Order: sequence, then structure tokens, then C-alpha cells
Amino acid sequence: MRILLDHFSKSFGSVRVIDDMTLEIKDGEMLALLGPSGCGKSTTLFAICGIHKVTSGRILFGDRDVTNVSSQERNVGVVFQSYALYPHMTVRENIAFPLRIRSLPEAEIKRLVNEMAGLVHIGSLLDRRPAELSGGQQQRVALARALVRRPNVLLLDEPLANLDAKLRLEMRSEIRRIQLETGITAILVTHDQVEAMSMCDRIAIMNNGQIIQIATPQEMYRNPRTAFVAGFLGNPPIAFIDAVARDGMLAVENADIRLPIPREADRVPEGTPVVVGIRPENLGTEGDAAIRGRVSFIETQGRENLYDITLANGKVLRSIQRVRDDVSLHDEVEWRVRSDQLFLFAQNGERL
Amino acid sequence: MTGHLKSWPFVLALSIISAPIVLMYSYLFIDTITNSPPGSFIPHEFTLEHWRFLWETRPGKPSIWRVTLNSFLFASSSCLVVLVVSSTAGYVLSRLNVPGRAFFLAGVMVLHAFPAVTLIVAIFLVLQMVGLYNSLIGVILVKAAIDMPLGIWIMKGFYDTVPWEIEMAGIADGASRFTVWRKLVLPQVKPGLFALGLFAFLLGWSEFILPQVLAPGGDVQVLSVYLAGLIADDNNFDMAMFKSVGLFYIAPVLILFLFFQKYLMNIYGGGTKG
Amino acid sequence: MSASRDIVEAAAVPAGAAAASAHPPRWRAGWLNSSRGLGLILLMPALVLVVLFFLMPVVLTGVFAFTNMSTATGISGGTYQVTPGALRELADRHGMDELAEKLGQPSFVVDEQGLKALEEMGIEPAIIADLREGHLGETHASRREFERMLRDLPERPDTRTVKRISGEFSRSLANSRFSSRESLLAAAEGVDPELTEEEKTALVQATYTGWVWTADNFRRMASSRDTVRILLNTIFFVATTLIIFNTAFAMLLAITTHYIPERPAGIFRIIWFLPRISPAVIYVLLWKWFAWDTGFLSAFLDNFGIRPRNWMLDTAANAWFFVIVINGFVGASMGMVIFSSAIKAIPESLFHAASVDGAYRWQQVRHIILPQLKWPILFVTCYQTLSLLTSIEQTLLATDGGPGGATEIWSLAIYHTALNNYAGNLQYGYGAAMALVLVVIGIVLSLIYLRVFNYRALVAKPRIEL
Repeated sequence: MRILLDHFSKSFGSVRVIDDMTLEIKDGEMLALLGPSGCGKSTTLFAICGIHKVTSGRILFGDRDVTNVSSQERNVGVVFQSYALYPHMTVRENIAFPLRIRSLPEAEIKRLVNEMAGLVHIGSLLDRRPAELSGGQQQRVALARALVRRPNVLLLDEPLANLDAKLRLEMRSEIRRIQLETGITAILVTHDQVEAMSMCDRIAIMNNGQIIQIATPQEMYRNPRTAFVAGFLGNPPIAFIDAVARDGMLAVENADIRLPIPREADRVPEGTPVVVGIRPENLGTEGDAAIRGRVSFIETQGRENLYDITLANGKVLRSIQRVRDDVSLHDEVEWRVRSDQLFLFAQNGERL
Repeated sequence: MTGHLKSWPFVLALSIISAPIVLMYSYLFIDTITNSPPGSFIPHEFTLEHWRFLWETRPGKPSIWRVTLNSFLFASSSCLVVLVVSSTAGYVLSRLNVPGRAFFLAGVMVLHAFPAVTLIVAIFLVLQMVGLYNSLIGVILVKAAIDMPLGIWIMKGFYDTVPWEIEMAGIADGASRFTVWRKLVLPQVKPGLFALGLFAFLLGWSEFILPQVLAPGGDVQVLSVYLAGLIADDNNFDMAMFKSVGLFYIAPVLILFLFFQKYLMNIYGGGTKG
Repeated sequence: MSASRDIVEAAAVPAGAAAASAHPPRWRAGWLNSSRGLGLILLMPALVLVVLFFLMPVVLTGVFAFTNMSTATGISGGTYQVTPGALRELADRHGMDELAEKLGQPSFVVDEQGLKALEEMGIEPAIIADLREGHLGETHASRREFERMLRDLPERPDTRTVKRISGEFSRSLANSRFSSRESLLAAAEGVDPELTEEEKTALVQATYTGWVWTADNFRRMASSRDTVRILLNTIFFVATTLIIFNTAFAMLLAITTHYIPERPAGIFRIIWFLPRISPAVIYVLLWKWFAWDTGFLSAFLDNFGIRPRNWMLDTAANAWFFVIVINGFVGASMGMVIFSSAIKAIPESLFHAASVDGAYRWQQVRHIILPQLKWPILFVTCYQTLSLLTSIEQTLLATDGGPGGATEIWSLAIYHTALNNYAGNLQYGYGAAMALVLVVIGIVLSLIYLRVFNYRALVAKPRIEL
């Protein structure tokens, strides 16, 4: 089902947490709400499921305005970070709870619970209590409970944050599989860009209560709208250096570096101070511009190495390359970067 | 943690200051089943005569069993009222958005500071006016009301520890706020209900001044009033018998305390921790 | 409600979805689902108890404090009784000696009322006629005078008739009882038709037996020497118990049990909990056994040639000792638990660091433990001040305020004034006035708590906005 937030605002007391947000989630799509903590992504999620009231604006499920519909009647499935399983009930009772509330016939409940348990692979755990399950298993139960009544939308609030690294990898693909199999519209709230990029069809990146950019993961990575977006996506993260437009080139102060202005950037007036973003994978052996610096740190990652290059002005750039035997710590190097892979931002962070 | 420092001086010091209590409570047991020669405290014979009161009713006094039943009714009923009131009001104060919630919570703290004696004169007169003087119902309600603020406070503490997500999940699952409380939250605070129930029962069982003032009559007498009456009666001074009645009276308290001391110590010592 | 129902039903079932949404949840009455509605319902039992047993008694304490209610006046209304006491009051307090004398003396008034009565009794009409014509309106100060006048009537009634007649004209008010103000005044006017308004008010006041509004309780409290003594007793009792037992001794218990192995520490904790969990009646009984003239202490000291005596009540000093110890042992356990958990909360690494530094145990206590106990001590002090101010059971059962009122504390004085004393004259009004003082102190102290103990943090806003 299509979900639409229409000029949605939310205040707590006099503090405006979400300001005039408009966001559409397409039917069957999985969308990530990505942002640092405190950016308002959880508030948005709570507003969609009805736990928070909307200060102004509308929320539509399909064509229906559910702004003033109580949470119980919205038929929304939620998976919380802590899973929020009912500790005094068995797994079976947990999953059956939403159905019991709806007074379904027992036989029907039994059938749906078993079907759902099969889907999330917990068929053998039905008679255990939540405390007897591992984190991953609890997560599956929470998913089953959220999905069993065929909700209009599935909301996932930092669902992987409480899992260890290995389980997190496993559950990432599991949640995506289940979402695709059921074809449900889903919203994933997360602060982890890897989760957002690996699980979702589109990402809405948020900061300070506003959506900065909505795009597919690839598009967002390749074409960030602001320095904030560019900085949030990518690991190891992008590096920024200050520069000034001079003679149709970008001059990095005190570093004897001159970079060509990327073709897709607007005309940059002479003397404008700008911020240049360079992703680590783009700094290496190929390109039309040279960057000189000293290798100040080498982090071994196995297949690749991460090199820190300190420029003459003290700024640090990062480069990720296959392991090179010809470079060692404290070497002076001159590496290259392609001008069409530079990101150019104004001082206020807007992409130029 | 302080392993190399010896602990025996502390044990010794504690033993000395604890001696009077140990002595008194030991003799509470010893004196009920033995006789000692006058002026001595070393028993020379075993006897059950001090327990006569169990099968002989003194003239002018109600039967011990009647009194025990009254005590039990008094303690369990006021405990029940406290449980009902605290489990509902505690939830409201912990979780629900009602007007005046902060005010009521402050009120509970203030009321908590109002032990019986400040209000007892007015309550005494009110009960006389409405005809509940010398009735168990009246004194049960008063006792429950006086224990209620602490009960609400304790239950609020327990409710506060239930994760909000459980309630949010319940609501998203389609349950009404009432169902969420009844089916999802209440089961989580069972330990709290148990501890509070135990505590309120013991408070009721031990209460003296309220029944003494509000329900002193023979038909509704509880054990504390009965025992105080025995002790105050100058014509029948019999310490061993007092102690036997006392042991009979305190036994349930001691047993419950020894079994559930962890629960109770927390509540007795401030009551704000869950 | 109906709009939302539409939505549930229309909350379109995605293709292939199961029957789940086809059965919308059965919505119960709205109040079960709104935070406000459910909240008010769930709060109702508590509110009822609060109103009945806190608000009403507090208000009534205030009300009763301004009355002279006592066993003598009763707690419902009274009657008007011309007692010798009332007449004395009329004379002494209002200076209306004359009126008092008049009302007190039997007097005989020839009035129509009496004459009618005579007619009904069947007295000779001639006598009645004579009286009406010759003597109507006359007042005689005594029976003898009146009867002499009767005998002098032309008809010369015989002695028996004279007695019968005189009975009907006796208009004395002494020792008569009236159910209302009006009937009292009507009768008084029968004796003295020229009563002034002032005299009427005084008369009504002096003869009323029920309770009346008055601020006398507070005047009496402010001027009474007993008040000062009880107040000083109370302050002494609270301060001493609080400092010696509820904080210092409790701290000693907490710290010493901290330094000994867990098993004996647990046993000592249980021992020190006994006074608190024991019903007051038994706990004090054990102290009596310990301190009475046939008790343990006397028998023990007898070995050293000290005469057996009732140590709990023989001198004021001894009585205070026992009152404070008995109450202090009860209160010590609360401080012990709170301080113990505060000490437990101190990171162990701090202790290790301290021992590595070669700090002695006393320094550990001083520099690590005591600073950590600042807040718990403040909490215990606040809490126990009020507990002690209002504690009554242990002192009542132990010394009952004795010997000779030496250990009479405020709460006990309330009990003795209003609820139980040897004289049997229970002064509810005065007791309520004394209780009102505690009520005010209680409210003030608890408002201070609320300030001290960051009350705002306790009422964080609910996170579900429904």
C-alpha cells in the first residue's frame, strides 16, 4: 500500500522536531529513513504507526487519510529495536496476539501462525518463551508477529542494532527476503548507511527534521545533493578539503594543488571558497589531476589498504587501493584523481 | 574487596550491639514453652501451659480464634484494596496522559507523609457519624487508604521498568489501552504485585493504633488490640502467656519475612525501588 | 468513531492477504482506549479513597479544630439546659447576676397560660375569676409568698387546692431542658419579659450543651504551659532519635556489614530488621520484659546489688532512654538498607585504588563512603523526621507518655487529648487543633521533599500519545 506523508510536522511542546515533511513510499517498496540519532526518523515512524499525534499535515494510507485514526485501527506492523516481545507469552502466543485481538477463529489463528512461522523459519520454536531465544530468533518472532495480520505497512525501527555483526549480516538479507516474498510496503529506520543501502529500494536521508535527499542507494552515492549526504554514505567516508576557484581551476590553499572544476558543476565565480569532496576509492593511480602528499597512516584491510595522505597544509585525504608494495609509511607520493569524480560543495554544504 | 583487612572486629562489634535484640527474640521463643525459677532465666522445665489460651477462652475476652480470624480478614481485605487501588492508579501515574497527573503524583508523595495519627481524630469522628465505628469494614478502608500512597508509589516504580516498546507493540497489534494494561503490562509487574501484597498484608497484620481507636469492640477485635488489652490488664500479669500470644501473633510475620526477605527489605527500606 | 470504522473496513486487503483484516478488531467503548478516559477510570478507586480518607479528614480536622467538641458536647447538635453551671457562667462571664438569680429562683407568675390550665383542671371558676381580675400579671418571688396570696383570696381555697394551683404557676427555669433556642427564650421571657437582646444571646450561649464554633483551642494551645513542654519533648525526641539512630547508627550498621563477609552480614541485616517487621505490640512487650522490675535487666543487675525496678518508667531520664532506643531500633533498619545499597553502588575499583594507596579503613570510610552517602542521608533525614513526628505506637505502648508526662510527645498528646485518657473527657476539638499543627508541618515538610528530590524527573511525559 502506498504511504504518503503530506506536509507533515511534529512538535514536542515548543520544539519542532519535524518541519513540513512530504514523503511518498510506493506500494511494495522498502524505503530507508536514514540519519544520525535525533534527526527525527523515529518520530516519523511513530507518527506513521499512530503512537505520536501529528501536529500538522496529513498521513495517507493508499487514498485514505489516517491522520486522526487511532494506532490500533491503522493495521501497521512494527518491529522495535528491542523486539518488544511479550515476555510472559510463548512464541506462538506472541504471534497469535494480534489475531486474538481481532477475534479470529482459533483454527484460523493456528493456520496463520504456522504459515508465518514457516515464512520466518521459526517453526520449531513456537512453544518457547522469548527469554529462551537468541537475538536473531527473537527478531524473527517480532517479524512474524508484525506480519501475521497482513499489515498495510511494515515499520522497522533499528531492527538490527541489537544483533552482533554476524547475525546482523544474516538478518539483513532475511528481512529483505521476507519483505520481497510478502510484497509488503516497508519502512526501515536506521542510522547505519550499510543497512540502508543493502536492504532498501530507496533511501530518504534526514537531518534536523528534514529530508535532505530521496534516491536509490546507487544514485545517492554517485550524486549526493549535499556535503552531509556525501559524508553520511560510504565507508571509509569521503574526505573534504577547502579550496578556492582561481583561473578556472580549484586551488587548495598552502598545498600546491590545483584541481580542474568538474564538468557537471555550475560555473564557479572567481575567488569563491568551495569544499571539495574526494571519495577514497577515487584517489589512486588514474585521473587527470595530481595530488601530492605524504603517507601518514596505512591501515591493512586484507584485500585492500587504506592510506591516509597528509597534504602540505595539514589536511588529510584517504585513499583505498589494492595492497601496494611500492608505498610505505612517510613516503612522499603523487596520486591522481579524476576530475569528474570530484564533488564540489558550497560553504553551506549545497552541491555546486 | 578488602580481603586483607580482617573482618572479625566488625563481627564482634555488631554482635555486641545486636545482643539485646537477639536476647529478646530468643526469650520470646524460650519463655513460651518453659518455666524458669523466679529470678533466673535458665529454664528448668518444659511446659505447654502458656499456650492454654488456644483452647481456653478467658471470661470477658473474645476467643483467640475469633480474634485471629478478624486479624486475617482485616489484613487480607486491606491488602486486597491496596493492591487493586495501587495497581490501577500506579499504572495511570506511570503511563497515561491524564490531566492533573503531575499534581496527583505530588499529592501521593504528600499523602505518603501523612501517617494515621494526624488524621485519626477526624476519621474517628467521621466513622462515628456514618456508623462505621466498631466495624471491620470501616477500619479496613481506613487502613487501605493510609497504606495506599506507598502502594501507588511502589507500583509506579514497577510499571516504570516495563519497556514502553511492549505497550507500543501492543497498540500497533490492535489492542486497546485497557487490553494492553490488562494482558501485556500487568503480567510484567507480577513480582511487584506479589511484593506489595505481602507488604500490605504484613502492615495490616501488625497494625495496632487504627483498630485500637476505630474498632476496639470484642466482636471486631484483632490480635494486636487483643494482646495489648491482655498486657494492659493489671489483674492478670503473666509474661509467659503474653509471649505465647505474641509468638502466635508474630509467627506468620517471621515466616513470611524469612522466606521473602529480599522482596521485603527493598520495600521496607524506602519503598521507591522496584 | 464511525469515520475510523470505515477506514478499518476499507483498510484494503492487499491482494492475497489472509482474512486477518477482514475481521476488524472489535472496538470497545472509547474510554477503554483513550489515555484520558482509561486513566480517569483506573484512577477512580484511588481518588475515592483519597477524598474519603485524606481530603475529607484534613478538611474536617480543620473544621473540628475550630469547635469545642468533646464527650460532653457530643458530636451532633445539643440542647439548651439551664444548669447551675450555666447560670454561674451567666453571672461570672457576662456579669448578668440579676438575670441569673431571676432565672435560677423559682418564681410564680399569674398569667393566662396558668389560668387556662386551672380551667382544665376543673378548679372552681370563682377562684380563677378572682385571680384573673385581681392578680393577673403579678410575680411572686417564692412559693410561700404566692401561696399566702392564694389563701387570702375571697374563696379561701383549701391547702390541697392551693398546692395544685401554685404548681401551675411555677415558672422556674432552673434545671429545665429546651430543644430549641426559641422555646428557651419563650420560657425565659415568661420569667422576665424585659429581656434585652444582649441578655438573650448570653443566655443562649451559657445554656447550650452542644458544640459551638470557637477559636479557643488555638488560644489555649498558645498560652498553655503543657504545649511548650510537649513541644520541647517532641523536638528532643525527634532530634535525638534521628541523629543517634536513624542516621549515625544506621550508617554504622551499613558500613560494618559492608566490611564483613556476605553470610554474617545477611544474618545481622535480618536481626536488625526484626524490630521493623515485628508488630509494635510484641516488639514493645519484649522491651517490657527486658526492662520491667521482674525482667531481664533487673534480674541481671540484681547480681551486682542494684535494686530491681521498672527501668522503663522509674525516672524521666530512663524513660527517655527507652523511648529513644525503642523507636531508634525500628528506624535504624531503613537507613541501613538505603545506606547499604548506596555503598554497594560505589565502584569496587575505588576501594582497590584506596587500599593500594595505603589508605586506612577509616580513610576509606571518610573519603569514599561518606561522600557517597550525602544524598541518602538527606533522604533518610527528611523521611524519618516526619515518621518520627507522627510515630505513636511504640511510645504509647512503652511509656504511654509517662512517668508523669515526661515522655509525652505531640502525636501522643493528640491521642490522649482526643481519643483516650483516664479522665474520660475526650476533647475532640482541641485534639483536632493539635492534629492540625501536624498536618501543616506534614504538608510543609513534604513540599520541601518535592523540591529537594527532583520531582520533575519522576513525571516524564508519557511516550504514547493516545
